[in-house]
Amino acid sequence: MAESYSDGSATDDDFQEQFLNDKTLKFAGAAIATLFTLVVGLFIGAIILTQVDFDLFVEIIYPQFVEAYLLVLGIFLAGSFLSIIAGIFVGLGRVSKTRITNTVASGYVEFFRGTPLLFQLIVIFFGIPAFWPPGQFPIPNWAIPAAIIGLTLNHAAYVGEAVRGGINAVPEGQMEAARSLGMSYVQAMREVVLPQAWRNALAAIGNDQVILVKDTSLLTVIAVPELISAFRQINSATFDPWTPILLVAIAYLGITLPLGKVVRYLEARSDWGGDRR
Amino acid sequence: MSLLEFEKVNKYFGETHVLKDVDLNVEEGEVCVIIGPSGSGKSTLLRCANRLEEIQGGEIRLDGQSISDPDADINRLRQRIGMVFQSFNLFPHKTALENVTLAPTKVKGKDASSAKQEAKTLLDRVGLSAQSSSYPNQLSGGQQQRVAIARALAMNPRVMLFDEVTSALDPELVGEVLDVMHSLAEEGMTMLVVTHEMGFAREVGDRIVLMADGRVVEDSPPEVFFENPKTDRGKQFLSKLL
Repeated sequence: MAESYSDGSATDDDFQEQFLNDKTLKFAGAAIATLFTLVVGLFIGAIILTQVDFDLFVEIIYPQFVEAYLLVLGIFLAGSFLSIIAGIFVGLGRVSKTRITNTVASGYVEFFRGTPLLFQLIVIFFGIPAFWPPGQFPIPNWAIPAAIIGLTLNHAAYVGEAVRGGINAVPEGQMEAARSLGMSYVQAMREVVLPQAWRNALAAIGNDQVILVKDTSLLTVIAVPELISAFRQINSATFDPWTPILLVAIAYLGITLPLGKVVRYLEARSDWGGDRR
Repeated sequence: MSLLEFEKVNKYFGETHVLKDVDLNVEEGEVCVIIGPSGSGKSTLLRCANRLEEIQGGEIRLDGQSISDPDADINRLRQRIGMVFQSFNLFPHKTALENVTLAPTKVKGKDASSAKQEAKTLLDRVGLSAQSSSYPNQLSGGQQQRVAIARALAMNPRVMLFDEVTSALDPELVGEVLDVMHSLAEEGMTMLVVTHEMGFAREVGDRIVLMADGRVVEDSPPEVFFENPKTDRGKQFLSKLL
């Protein structure tokens, strides 16, 4: 057993020495990255040159895409704000030592992470109005409130888990020090534990908020005139796929890239006193 | 009536009986030093004194008011009990000054400018007036611990609890923290100190309380304890120090 292992590894070692050492790995990585860039660049270049109809491109920017973009941005901002607020409470519930609070918060997270967002949107959009007699549901334009509710409920579960992790990563001594000064649990949480938990959870929350932006594409199913709906409309009218696809890509990246910058700014801002002594 | 009274205190961690019928009275202005081997329950006793740990039997009183009573207004009582921890536990997102002003403004509702003024006086007193706008991770261990002492003093406590406050420090930083504690003692602060610093215990302590296996086994003035301990446990403990 031991011998056959060493025999096998001897040839592996030879192979490693010759073809896969630190130097060749670095070279291979750079070569693959270059090749990848080249292929993607050629592909995008070819699409822009041969597939995109620039007259159509300019024509559809306004109003369709600008409106869809602003709607997605608005839904994202509302869903982001509400899901972070709700998520903080879910996270607080998850770290609660009170049995019922903890169980309910866990159940919430299990349900909203355990079922698809699309399913949750369908429940809210189709299910809720069914409690009223046909045609008497009092909220007009239900798709957009339903979208914000669905995204908030779903992402509050993920933000809640990030907040829970962030709170658990704050040393126990922080709560003890705050309480020993006479602060109540609420004061200690608000003034001492949560600001640190927020910093710990920031990367995970930011990651989730990027997913929230992309999740707005599902809203096409509940008739929200968002970016994918705009694509489908133009595509079915012109049979041109690539021109609207390019706009969709620009629109999504036009939200997610600045969002990444905001998260990095917030991270830098909560680097209290820097990491070095 | 003593300032801080422990009466027949019993404490369990699960099945483990960590404090066994502990009786201890700390008088106003007294520096009571608790020593003993690790696992003897001395830190636990200290943490029970401001109810960071609950006790299962007996009673602990401050100024005659029960701390251990489940209905006690613990947030109010804790304002009168300052605590300094082994691992400093400064708030890393606040400057030294903000660490000191946080509780007076949030708990006592003091206005920001007078809290700031008092905090500056306190930081000056622990020799850190130049570091008031530094964050904890920009300070040395000894400086952090002195900020922690100032933070506890800012609430004007009746008694200060010190839980092995020099154990996490580099040896050359121990002195600056002990100096602050020494001057506090001279100013008449009531102090309950758990420590392994025998020099400090002997010099600053009014009383040495030796704990072993969850009990108080000897309670003597330092000159008696270090020269001629009354108990065999005391003799045994001292012999291991040399």
